[in-house]
Amino acid sequence: MKRTVPLILTFLVGLFMVGEYFIPHYRYRIWTAEFLEWGVILAAAAFVLGLINLIQVNLPKVLKRERDWGYKLVMLIALAVTLVAGFTAGEHRDGPSVYKWVYDYTFVPLNATMFALLAFYIASAAFRAFKARNLEAALLLGAAIIVMVARVPAGESLPVIGDYLPRFMNWIMDVPNIAARRAIFIGAALGAVATGLRVILGLERSHLGAD
Amino acid sequence: MNLLILFAALLAPVLAATPATGLSVETPAYSDGLTLSLSWTAPDDAHSLILLRSDQGEAGPWHVAAGPWPGTKAEHQDKVTTDPTKTPPAAHYWYRLVSLDEDTAPPPEADGDDAAAAEQAYVAALLAGQPATAAVQGTPVASWLSASPGYLLLLALIVSVGGLMLWFTDRARKGHEMFIRRMPGIDAIEEGIGRATEMGKPVLYVPGIDELQDIQTIASMLILGQISRKVAEYQSDIVVSCCIPIVREVADEVVGSGYMLAGYPDAYNPKNVRFISSEQFAFTAGTNGIILREKPATHIFLGRFFAESLILAETGYVNRSVQIAGTAEATQLPFFVAACDYTLIGEELFAVSAYLSKDPRLVSSLKASDYVKVFVVVMLVVGTIAASFGSSFFIELFTISG
Repeated sequence: MKRTVPLILTFLVGLFMVGEYFIPHYRYRIWTAEFLEWGVILAAAAFVLGLINLIQVNLPKVLKRERDWGYKLVMLIALAVTLVAGFTAGEHRDGPSVYKWVYDYTFVPLNATMFALLAFYIASAAFRAFKARNLEAALLLGAAIIVMVARVPAGESLPVIGDYLPRFMNWIMDVPNIAARRAIFIGAALGAVATGLRVILGLERSHLGAD
Repeated sequence: MNLLILFAALLAPVLAATPATGLSVETPAYSDGLTLSLSWTAPDDAHSLILLRSDQGEAGPWHVAAGPWPGTKAEHQDKVTTDPTKTPPAAHYWYRLVSLDEDTAPPPEADGDDAAAAEQAYVAALLAGQPATAAVQGTPVASWLSASPGYLLLLALIVSVGGLMLWFTDRARKGHEMFIRRMPGIDAIEEGIGRATEMGKPVLYVPGIDELQDIQTIASMLILGQISRKVAEYQSDIVVSCCIPIVREVADEVVGSGYMLAGYPDAYNPKNVRFISSEQFAFTAGTNGIILREKPATHIFLGRFFAESLILAETGYVNRSVQIAGTAEATQLPFFVAACDYTLIGEELFAVSAYLSKDPRLVSSLKASDYVKVFVVVMLVVGTIAASFGSSFFIELFTISG
């Protein structure tokens, strides 16, 4: 019973939601929209559970002064301040408020800092990846150099090859690149259909705690 | 009445424009029952056009349905109601198209109780002072199946995958062996768990940063079930870092079930399945913190990733951990290939669960999708040849519209 009921529910709801793609009738769309709304409500309720999990994981470590407890304390203080500021500001949190200040002058710069790190990580990863160890790696290296040089203004100014580089770059991006991406998309789409059907048909049960 | 006189005065100047001709209303094929297609021949001398709609009859009352548009417009898809839960569509609708001259005022923008009265006065003044077509009736028809060739083919493909899956499952039950090629990336998962056990360090699992309803997250949760079971069998630890709260709740259940199935329910620590933050880079920073401070021996990134993929994978590289990644997100694959030891590309992500379980029923489902893949490849080749010779048959066959 513990396994059968979820399997039946998964089958019925899964089939019903797949139907949305093939049944254009507005009444059907009203029912599926209702289901999706339930999903949104469940997801919103899970935020409360996420908050509890954050406190359960981090607070004991702070209280017991475990390793790196200082970071967790900073996180918990930031959590509490943002939460209180958000609730206090209420509907006016987008206007001048402590919440807005915390968001604009703390969260946004920190977010931008993390994103900016990506540039350095790309450089270090590219340095490792672009080594001509074999034929495939050499082709990758060659394609990468052409695309990089052709994308910067200096590439177009190069004597003799400057006119041809952007055209060759476009060919690389539009032909071999797109062909490979489409192959990945088609394979992934069929894999996604198969995974969805495995769950809907009850062949896949590992998430239910059953073989 | 005063309002009516005011509008009439505004509209009155000259009756220069002529009405549109040939106004016709049709129900689009495979419609949702809320849309009607209108077409007409635009008049030569109209500055702009405005569409009136009534759900009572050809005598009105009329409401402004759409417009004003430039006088050259000749077709329109009319949505008869925007919220069918509050305003269900009527059985029939009537339309009139009014030609406006340059001096005609636009529809009033009143709010509240005055809006209906102002609109009625405006429409009455329009019909009194501007040339309009006769009323034409349209009937919205809601369809219960999108029966265009593209949709039917897609439905047939999905049913084929399902049918083949059940057939191969039946064959597997009867003892037929199913071959599945070796995938080094998936084999490395078990090796990675073994390495973590030997080093006395945990395995870090990141199920991507997308919502639970995304198929890659679903696939990741299925894989997590298999991996957590193996981790429990090895009596090692797994830390799951989640970006979405509901994904954490599901991961909690899945990992708990994995430990239970392995026979070690008491070894499961729910505090190892952690919600970090629903903000992309806050989550990235938190997960990087786990990588650098708890130093997991093996990192497994399976699911849908975006810009954080390389930040996570490069931090893991610095940590000298074994890294196995998999995603169907084509833009992130190069980052994982560059920074991880093993990368599962696209469809391989969806095969991991079946491969790890070695369950003939699940392996047989891979066989089914492989057969459909062969069909798609054949269609691609034939379609390419046909298109090269000028035939658009396959292009139309695979077009999803509406």
